[in-house]
Amino acid sequence: MSNDILSEIKKDYVLSKLRDGERIDGRKFDEFRKLEIRTGLIGKAEGSAYVKLGNTQVVVGIKMQPGEPFPDVPDKGVIIVNAELVPLASPTFEPGPPDENSIELARVVDRGIRESEAVDLSKLCIEPGKKVWIIFVDIHALDDDGNLLDASAIASICALMNTKVPASRFGLGEDFDLPVNDIPVSVTSLIIGDKFLVDPTRDEMSVGERTLTVTVDKSDNIVAIQKSGDYLLSEPLFTEVLEVSIRASKKIREEILRQCSKAC
Amino acid sequence: MRKIVLPGDLISTNPKVAGYGTYIEGDKVYAKILGLFDEAENSAKVIPLKGKYIPSIGDTVIGIVREVTANGWNLDINSPYQAFLPLTENPETKPGKKPNDILDLGDAVIAKVINIDPRMRVTVTMKDKICRAIRFGRIVAINPARIPRVIGKKGSMIKLLKSELDVQIVAGQNGLIWLNGDRRKISIAEEAIYLIEEEAHTEGLTDRVAEFLRRRKECLAQKNS
Amino acid sequence: MSRPEKFIIDGKRLDGRTPDQLRPIKIEVDYLKRADGSCYLEMGKNRVVAAVYGPREVHPRHLQDPTKAIIRYRYNMAPFSVEERKRPGPDRRSIEISKVSKEAFEAVIMKELFPRSAIDIFVEVLQADAGSRTACINAASVALVDAGIPMKGILTSVAVAKVDGVLVLDPMKEEDNYGEADIPFAFLIRGGKIESIALLQMDGKMTKEEIKEAINLAKKGAMEIYQMQREAIMKKFIEEGENE
Repeated sequence: MSNDILSEIKKDYVLSKLRDGERIDGRKFDEFRKLEIRTGLIGKAEGSAYVKLGNTQVVVGIKMQPGEPFPDVPDKGVIIVNAELVPLASPTFEPGPPDENSIELARVVDRGIRESEAVDLSKLCIEPGKKVWIIFVDIHALDDDGNLLDASAIASICALMNTKVPASRFGLGEDFDLPVNDIPVSVTSLIIGDKFLVDPTRDEMSVGERTLTVTVDKSDNIVAIQKSGDYLLSEPLFTEVLEVSIRASKKIREEILRQCSKAC
Repeated sequence: MRKIVLPGDLISTNPKVAGYGTYIEGDKVYAKILGLFDEAENSAKVIPLKGKYIPSIGDTVIGIVREVTANGWNLDINSPYQAFLPLTENPETKPGKKPNDILDLGDAVIAKVINIDPRMRVTVTMKDKICRAIRFGRIVAINPARIPRVIGKKGSMIKLLKSELDVQIVAGQNGLIWLNGDRRKISIAEEAIYLIEEEAHTEGLTDRVAEFLRRRKECLAQKNS
Repeated sequence: MSRPEKFIIDGKRLDGRTPDQLRPIKIEVDYLKRADGSCYLEMGKNRVVAAVYGPREVHPRHLQDPTKAIIRYRYNMAPFSVEERKRPGPDRRSIEISKVSKEAFEAVIMKELFPRSAIDIFVEVLQADAGSRTACINAASVALVDAGIPMKGILTSVAVAKVDGVLVLDPMKEEDNYGEADIPFAFLIRGGKIESIALLQMDGKMTKEEIKEAINLAKKGAMEIYQMQREAIMKKFIEEGENE
């Protein structure tokens, strides 16, 4: 993914700035880029959100339909997260079935939503053991300027918060708001030796695709962690990233609430 | 008894002694491969027990022609890397003679590694008295990590085999060994080589091989009489 | 399987272990003839086989890296390895596990020694219990040593789960399925000590204090597994080193 020559030549610049304790775009090491959220832009979808994080752009659409529950949880709705890294979003993305990067992205977003119990799936049972609501969360990348993962996670939860369950369309009573109880926030840091940068841009990623993602719920519980990339992580650095991620997640959650409540 | 070490085992705190099979980080020397720890006054190295043959300049190798090009031959040398034998490095090259008339697909040669570039492109030569195209005899393959034992200290083991059996032997560092001479004596040599491979790191190996050769020669003599 | 009412009774887990105890482990080195290095490993009811091929030539050629060996890792579950037959071939879970496991090994294998080549690690899960990815990493690690691949050290992997609010080492199936959280780790062990984290994932709910506690529990378990990996390799090669 990093064989993009324009990013590759940025590497020295990023490292040189880092030596002076600076980032190339002037942000602090624990600071996210500017976040812009718009919800409900896709009328055909049950819920949707567009997120722009710096120059990274992603759209998430939610579709719902009745279907069979998992046998081990017969009275709960089902949530399925899928990501498509379409070639439009980056010169390094290729058409074809999801590769390991898009699968990893979808699964990490999924874990955050699932483990924080953000969606109250028990309210999505239609007929126990037979019929429940299935939620499809489809992540569609538009522009990958780094940290597509956090942008996707934010867009996913915002889209879910914006979702109306289409009960009337299936003759199942009146439409109702999807019950969302938590806002999990994933915080991805780029690991560079014994330093780390929160919310890395594509240029910063040119030093090596080595990240640590920590997803935090509203009560400061850690709900998902993913180390990604061919590096060794020291325990002290891990502990530090944990602390910073918890702090950063609070700010992002506030921002989500501010922008979404305004829009919804 | 030599100690077996594993990757990551700390073997010295003096970076100056770091030898084969080790790496340095900070002021510590660690083993990087599975092997036998060999410690001398000024060196600490790891003798590998397993692993692929990785070419190094000066090695004698036995290779098989896999591709004939206008400039030379690509050889399979039982390694992740093929070796290239340029036309100019084969003394049999003559103007007007086509490369595949000199060496064709499947032909075996004994060659020497003369160059390896940073991308592990390997060049070999046949301009050395040990080198030749193999047109008779037999090739035997063993674990490349055991070749040093087949050769022995200062060539002692290979000398023993040659003198006892009166056969020609060339051991390639890449685990392939060429044997030439009397058919039945070659077979004895081959068995002896497998014995050395099997018991490579045991004590008194030379004595046991000598004993093995003596017994097999007696058998042979009885059959002949 | 249904959710047990309690996971820990009188300080003992459902299978009789204490919270800081591993499941039984069995390791056999050089298990396959054709592979350059191999290992069979049991960890609880997990039965896995790891094979290493390489360094070897890369096919297709455009995958070659002129500066280092590429590492490929394939975690594959046999169709009969789980209660309900698994459809053959990689699913999303296997692809993710393969990716993070590959990256863990990329961090310790000295791949720059073998430009333009490939080191292939194949792990087959014959029977899956909880923690099959950790069992596979432990087996792959031994197979790599057996293949003579140069590495910074040994990787050892173990998971920690949270059940009934208690952290437990090396979770079994019930704890994995119905527990509150699960963190698989892989550590680089060098100079007889745990040095850094090579694989780290987590799902569930934990406070940051619990995560720190989980690392310590995992480290204790990893050191025990490391000793077993070590002994298994020594046992296999000791005859060769004897009397030298």
